[in-house]
Amino acid sequence: MNKKTKSITLNILGILVLYAALSTLIGSGAINNYLSNILITICITIIMTASLNVTTGLLGQLALGHAGFMAIGAYVSALLTKSLSISFGLSLPLSLMLGGLAAAMCGLLIGIPALRLEGDYLAIITLGFGEIIRVIIENLSITGGARGLTRITRLSRAFSQDRTLSMVIAFTLVFFITVLIISSIFTLGRSRHGRAIISIRENAIAAEATGIPTTRYKLLAFVFAAFYAGIAGGLFAHQISIIDAKMFGFNKSIEYLVMVVLGGMGSITGSVVASIVLVALPEVLRGMEEYRLLIYSFLLILMMLFRPSGLLGTREFSMLAAWEAMERFCSRVFKRKDTPTRMPFQPRYDIWEDKPVLETRDLGIDFGGLKAAEGINIHLSDNEIVGMIGPNGAGKTTVFNLLTGVYAPTRGEIMLLGKSIHGRAPHQITHDGIARTFQNIRLFNSMSALDNVKVAFHSRMRYSPLSGILRNASCLSEERGIDIRARELLRVFQMESDADTIAGSLPYGRQRKLEICRALASNPKVLLLDEPAAGMNPSETAELMQTIKLIRDRFSVAILLIEHDMKLVMGICERIYVLNYGRIIAHGSPEEIRSNPEVIAAYLGQPQSVQEAAHAES
Amino acid sequence: MDLLASQLINGLHVGSIYALIALGYTMVYGIIKLINFAHGDIIMVGAYTAVITLVSLNWSPVAALIAAIVVCVLLGLTIERVAYKPLRSSPRISSLITAIGVSMLLQNAALLLFGAQPRPFPIVLKVEPLRFGGLQISFITLLTLGVTALLMIGLQTFVHNSKPGKAMRAASEDYATAQLMGINVNNIISLTFAIGSALAAIGAYLYVMAYPAVSPTMGSLPGLKAFIAAVLGGIGIIPGAMLGAFVLGIAESLAKAYISSQMSDAVVYFILILVLLFKPTGLMGKPSGEKV
Repeated sequence: MNKKTKSITLNILGILVLYAALSTLIGSGAINNYLSNILITICITIIMTASLNVTTGLLGQLALGHAGFMAIGAYVSALLTKSLSISFGLSLPLSLMLGGLAAAMCGLLIGIPALRLEGDYLAIITLGFGEIIRVIIENLSITGGARGLTRITRLSRAFSQDRTLSMVIAFTLVFFITVLIISSIFTLGRSRHGRAIISIRENAIAAEATGIPTTRYKLLAFVFAAFYAGIAGGLFAHQISIIDAKMFGFNKSIEYLVMVVLGGMGSITGSVVASIVLVALPEVLRGMEEYRLLIYSFLLILMMLFRPSGLLGTREFSMLAAWEAMERFCSRVFKRKDTPTRMPFQPRYDIWEDKPVLETRDLGIDFGGLKAAEGINIHLSDNEIVGMIGPNGAGKTTVFNLLTGVYAPTRGEIMLLGKSIHGRAPHQITHDGIARTFQNIRLFNSMSALDNVKVAFHSRMRYSPLSGILRNASCLSEERGIDIRARELLRVFQMESDADTIAGSLPYGRQRKLEICRALASNPKVLLLDEPAAGMNPSETAELMQTIKLIRDRFSVAILLIEHDMKLVMGICERIYVLNYGRIIAHGSPEEIRSNPEVIAAYLGQPQSVQEAAHAES
Repeated sequence: MDLLASQLINGLHVGSIYALIALGYTMVYGIIKLINFAHGDIIMVGAYTAVITLVSLNWSPVAALIAAIVVCVLLGLTIERVAYKPLRSSPRISSLITAIGVSMLLQNAALLLFGAQPRPFPIVLKVEPLRFGGLQISFITLLTLGVTALLMIGLQTFVHNSKPGKAMRAASEDYATAQLMGINVNNIISLTFAIGSALAAIGAYLYVMAYPAVSPTMGSLPGLKAFIAAVLGGIGIIPGAMLGAFVLGIAESLAKAYISSQMSDAVVYFILILVLLFKPTGLMGKPSGEKV
């Protein structure tokens, strides 16, 4: 038994033993009714905290209205079990599901407008929506208004005449729903969809430029979290049997947020631990009733002062490992065929002979009254290396931003492979075939080098979020395929030994290389490099020149690069564009550019005008 | 017509109080980008100080006001030094959680000291309401409007014309560069907390004169509303907080009169959401975007 299998088995055993122990204790009466209810509360809290961690930890967006989704789930499922005249055993799962879906719908409705905002503004708008949900529930007659809903079937009494037996069943149900939800958050987090979500947290601009439809993924994470909060709400309503809107106010949302932060943002197991500790702590402190909340808040402040990253930071206990083992076990039992490895990497481009792959026509953009770029006409042929130079502020990066859709042009057109890319979003343009690197490196810093590259394969993978959660055949075969591809790509750049290193801790030169590697992973026809040699020493620059040539030959891309290092530009570029004040002032071969008087003037000042001035004086 | 006029005046009255509290949120946010959740509870502390000095110690209303200001300023400074300063370089969410912790701590400490039962605030001013035709305006409303107007003019003058005021604006524009220009940013931040807390104390006094009940959680709701007002106007911008507060106050009292008093909160949040959607940085905010 190797080390990995060992830890996997331990994980599964852990969960089962925990369940067996707790349910036996409940069954034998050693854990009384009161304590059993606390156990159920812990499970519900775990679902709430872990799902909030999807939005706040994985996606990196602070949400302050999570209890609002819980409220929707609670009311919808309570109203359903109250009105449906089928047995509770049937109506409960149905109502939980529908409660979750209702919350997810609301998440969608709220998310579409709200997720256009970021940071504190998103936090405030979610706060606003959360409170609106509460006020509306408080004022509807169907929800019982301010008095709330009463006499909801109690989980702990519903399943059997025997109180203890009923409690055991209730606990079993809640426990395994929680285990399922937590596992699904884990597996989603490790799928291509999870990588996409985390890449947005790491660097939203780079994620978009790597081909991630960021808006869609923000929405997915938000709706996913809302769905689980809805289920938790449904369980909560049936646990306590009386609900009113005040239970789901701003303070409740804050309570869950506190748990997420204390557990460690982005650490799902951290959320689990924090939920257990913070639900249990007030109970432990129950003896000192009066000081309970005081101590609680005091601990919170101390915790933040001395360990601001939370209990676990972003680390995880290995649960996915458990899931994988279960899978392997199942496939052995059911004799599932070993899935084929599917390669996502297929050339998508026709041979594009003499026509330019990229062409701009009178491209221009105004910022207010300033013409930041005007009359830009550039063209790139297949397998060409073209330089773009110019003094600082000449508009070089602006041209890159226009080409990649970060800015919408005021005038003119961009043709890629003969088709206009007007109105395409940056991630679509990446998909169309333009990839870029950034002047200040934008990597997904806390992801591994390998995962950075994998994010860029996203748009050429097909499996759905659901297959990601279930880790079914299509998910596994594609994941295996891109794992091979991504490692191959790293090997081309002699970076295979860095595959598991966290991108942010790589040395500078390797970070630059990794960024290029990531750009190439999206299989571009045109590669834009923004000052690739910035900050490199002469020997690193010489190495980079070789790398750029290698990229051109091996990946058959057209390369447009911005660079200040003239040795590099003159050494590898076949043609050069010179920009100044947002216009192209010269264009030609390195020799032509080197002797062009206008270029010299732009870099060194106007010798003629100096002479003229001297002339005028004398 | 009279209903509309009196609701507008009501709105201005609440709006003024929100404005005084909102300034504390917005100034602090402007410099250290922290949503100071404990700010609402400063109001509560100010109100308790006033009620204790007035009733138990028999101080004059003015002395009680001064006591409230002093206590709030000291509290604000202490909170900043002890709870926020050590976290200035950690992720912003940590200081946000700390602020929530401080807020809970203050509320629970007050609960322990004074109990949950609200205390009545004594009548400190007994003046007949003024009548303009059919319209009746209480003296407290006029006083609130007057005091708020004076304080705002004072604050604007201070921020624009004094040396520490300029340093404050510089720090909120660019924290790091302000330090390089020789500004002692720590002192400026302390000053910001002091001014914010003093304004909150005055706001608290005016608030309990209008709604005379003092309880441990009394600060949460006006705190939240004032915060929303600050966001509405454009957080970090001083005139924005004032504008946002008046818009919010008027919207709230009109909604109470013409829609329903229970739904007025929903209306407030709805306005907030609309403004954020169409002008994400608030009414007076400037667009900001990350440079690529």
